[in-house]
Amino acid sequence: MIKLDRRNFLKGAGAGSATCALATMLPGSLAALENAPLQGVGKEVASICEMCSTRCPISARVVDGKNVFITGNKEAKSFGGKVCARGGAGHSLLYDPQRIVNPLKRVGERGEGKWAEISWDEAYEMMATNLNRIKREHGPEAVAFSSKKGSLSGHFFHLAKAFGSPNTFTHGSLCPGAYVIAAKSMFGTKLKRDLGNSKYIINFGHNIYEGINMSETRGMMKAQSERGAKLVVFEPRFSVVADKADEWHAVRPGTDVAVALALCHVLITDKLYDQSFVERYVVGFEEFAREVKAYTPEWAEGITDVKAKDIRRIAYELAAAAPHAVVDFGHRATFTTEEFDMRRAIFAANVLIGNIERKGGLYLGKKAKTYNKFAGETVAPKLAKPGVEGMPKPTAKRIDQMDKQYTMVWKNGGVYQSILAATLEAKPYQLRGWVMSRTNPMQTMTDRAKVLEALKKMEFVAVCDVYISETAAYADLILPESTYLERDEEIADKSGKNPAYYVRQRVVETIGNTKPSWQIFKEVGDALGLSKFYPWENMETLQLAQMKRDDKALRHIREKGYVSYGKPLMLREPSMVAKFIDTYANARKADDDGTYASALKFKTPSGKIELSSAAVEEFAPGRGVIRYRDAPLKRADELYFIQGKVAVHTNGATHNVPILANLMADNAVWIHPVTAGRLGISHGDAIRLTSSVGSETSYAMVTPGIRQDTVFAYMGFGSKNKELIRASGKGLHCGNLLPDSTAPVVGMNLHTTGVKVEKV
Amino acid sequence: MNKRYVMVHDENKCIGCQACNVACRSENGTPEGVTRLQVRVEGPFGQAPNLHFKYHRVSCQQCEDAPCVKVCPTGAAYVGEDGIVTIKEDKCVGCMYCVAACPYKVRFVNPETKATDKCNFCKDTRLARGELPACVTVCPTDALTFGDANEPDSEVAKLLNTKPSYQDKIHLGTKPRIYRIPTKRGGIES
Repeated sequence: MIKLDRRNFLKGAGAGSATCALATMLPGSLAALENAPLQGVGKEVASICEMCSTRCPISARVVDGKNVFITGNKEAKSFGGKVCARGGAGHSLLYDPQRIVNPLKRVGERGEGKWAEISWDEAYEMMATNLNRIKREHGPEAVAFSSKKGSLSGHFFHLAKAFGSPNTFTHGSLCPGAYVIAAKSMFGTKLKRDLGNSKYIINFGHNIYEGINMSETRGMMKAQSERGAKLVVFEPRFSVVADKADEWHAVRPGTDVAVALALCHVLITDKLYDQSFVERYVVGFEEFAREVKAYTPEWAEGITDVKAKDIRRIAYELAAAAPHAVVDFGHRATFTTEEFDMRRAIFAANVLIGNIERKGGLYLGKKAKTYNKFAGETVAPKLAKPGVEGMPKPTAKRIDQMDKQYTMVWKNGGVYQSILAATLEAKPYQLRGWVMSRTNPMQTMTDRAKVLEALKKMEFVAVCDVYISETAAYADLILPESTYLERDEEIADKSGKNPAYYVRQRVVETIGNTKPSWQIFKEVGDALGLSKFYPWENMETLQLAQMKRDDKALRHIREKGYVSYGKPLMLREPSMVAKFIDTYANARKADDDGTYASALKFKTPSGKIELSSAAVEEFAPGRGVIRYRDAPLKRADELYFIQGKVAVHTNGATHNVPILANLMADNAVWIHPVTAGRLGISHGDAIRLTSSVGSETSYAMVTPGIRQDTVFAYMGFGSKNKELIRASGKGLHCGNLLPDSTAPVVGMNLHTTGVKVEKV
Repeated sequence: MNKRYVMVHDENKCIGCQACNVACRSENGTPEGVTRLQVRVEGPFGQAPNLHFKYHRVSCQQCEDAPCVKVCPTGAAYVGEDGIVTIKEDKCVGCMYCVAACPYKVRFVNPETKATDKCNFCKDTRLARGELPACVTVCPTDALTFGDANEPDSEVAKLLNTKPSYQDKIHLGTKPRIYRIPTKRGGIES
């Protein structure tokens, strides 16, 4: 666990001085600059965090031109003006002497760690020469573009499109993709959770008390502490969310789907489900009911190790709390190869209790367009998009779209790991270039050795980042991006139950020779001869275009940082609809039952919730109906190896940030006392984990908080890149133990495998 | 003394996320390697599946009867008008008597100032500006409440009047001003 005792304090102090000594030798780093003067642009600046992917609204205080304190933006009510440890450490990243603040060109072998500082002009010329050569000789599709999802990816993928490559990827298939695709297949869109108003929450290892998403974390705590909501957690490990639960069931890794299906079985067989909701809004119920007939709690007990009587009781409790209850569909959907049906089975349980658009259940986002229509007036401005004419249409097919079972995946970021087979085996065709923006596949993808091989085989690799990340270490060219505290961005949509916008704004002047990534990729576009696809000058012109030149409205958003419009609306919640109608004179008339239930439609082919899907059956035969399939994750003589998020780090991104590295530098391996005893392992012993693809060492944390057949480690540690001084060689690297395996339909990169454990 | 600043740490709401720890570091410019505040997630205790963690706030307890003040030979450690145990940096000679005397082991020598250091409820910075201590400001789950316990309408007074709470090592007679609302499972029965 996170601990800083006196012994570690002394160790930490030693490591700290070593850091400084080495950091000064890193060319292109912030330390290599001589006392760069810093200039503040305001006392308190509202902006958007970027220490993880949640992007909470923040407020940063600037003293003497230096950002010193970050907290949440109080304007955003559901975020409560709060910030987590990562968000609070933003200034530690900003002023980290190890940050890269000048473009770097590789001068040694790839990955050797020899760099030379170059000018931006040289960097752009290098991009243009290499990318245009590959395009000329092999077509633009031979270059892959991958990026962290969100505000950063828009401009980056605009470049990919202008260049002509269809091969764009985000980390979707390495983390959240499965629930997004499951939701899309059933509801036609993503859904949101109203945890704060829930009376009963079932949670399949969605540890939002460690993988913090501020509004959801706060919502769940509010439900628990203020509304007395019951929380039931199914997770192989005793995590913080399991600790805060009323019940913790140590489910067998990867078998959550059987629990979810058994819950559905009880709801249907014992007629506990919301029959009128299903009749009105659902298609494919009969096929699903037929399928789940076999999935009794007794059947599930044999697979999951969760007692049948508990599953039955929980189904009854869930139904009793309905519709103000929710079965949480998770966050990092990489547990099993059957992710598609696991996440669909969870959504199915929600559909059966009829919690859609009800307090404490699931709901559809209410953006300005929808909300204004209900209100009969313009409550919230609609954001405009700058049109770009004549964008080229790629002639080649995406590398992950030769197999049509992944039809639904590509719009959600594609099957990221398909870059590996395309590069190493020319399947379906040869990739030769790889451009990345703030993505770290060497840490977040599986089978590290294979990712390394792919990087080495590439003819050209360029990485845009703030550090020489685990991945950037193997680039030919590093483009140093300004951190989020140094750049302006477009206004972003943060709508929930009502419309809301917020905006990222620079807190301090840019440090060193860095540029915001939108500018870098615009200038790369210029160098590639694609200027005609960039009709905007800078961020101000883009923001004004978004607001249809209404500079007063723009000023308001910039001043507040976060602006929420109207009142929360859930279409089937009578009290909310009544308040809404009271507020807006021209509001849509309510139905006879005082709700907007008749207006609830889904963007599926049938316009209803597709519990079973003909469209899915079409592109993935046998997958139309949700069903259980055995998915072996390990051999009999191995232990399950699972990972999770920790509250002080983000995936593969923050392990070198000084304050956070100081809080937690490595990842111990959780192992049950019985298992440890059998293997002769004591608390703190150095141990080796060996899987089918690699071997890693760390130390043992012997604890009853884990199943006997499972070992656990927090992900993102054990970097093997010497440039990340604070993170390198500390703890184990999960990607070096996980084989490259892709789940059907959703294209998820599987994060569970079998390992052998021994004392070293 | 008319003010009695106390802090209440609700261990039910605390998730051990260290947001408080980081906010404290940035507000107070705490150097690498030392810390004024951390929450230790201890355990799990008990027998599976009835396990529980303990979320243990480790910071100055703001004792009413502070051993560190008693042993300080120079008067560097003192109790202010507001009841907050404070250190006058320029009076500290670094003898470390206070570090040894603190039963909560929360005092340390600041490697930059060479004076002893610890939590002072952000007295000189945030309290002086009329703000709440950094840890309270950022706490994602609202596990921390700060205020004047002598004020009957204050949130802390209400909390202490309505919820069971305990203080650490109370048998030593130090009268700490950090109150803890125990987690419902294990630990101290509520």
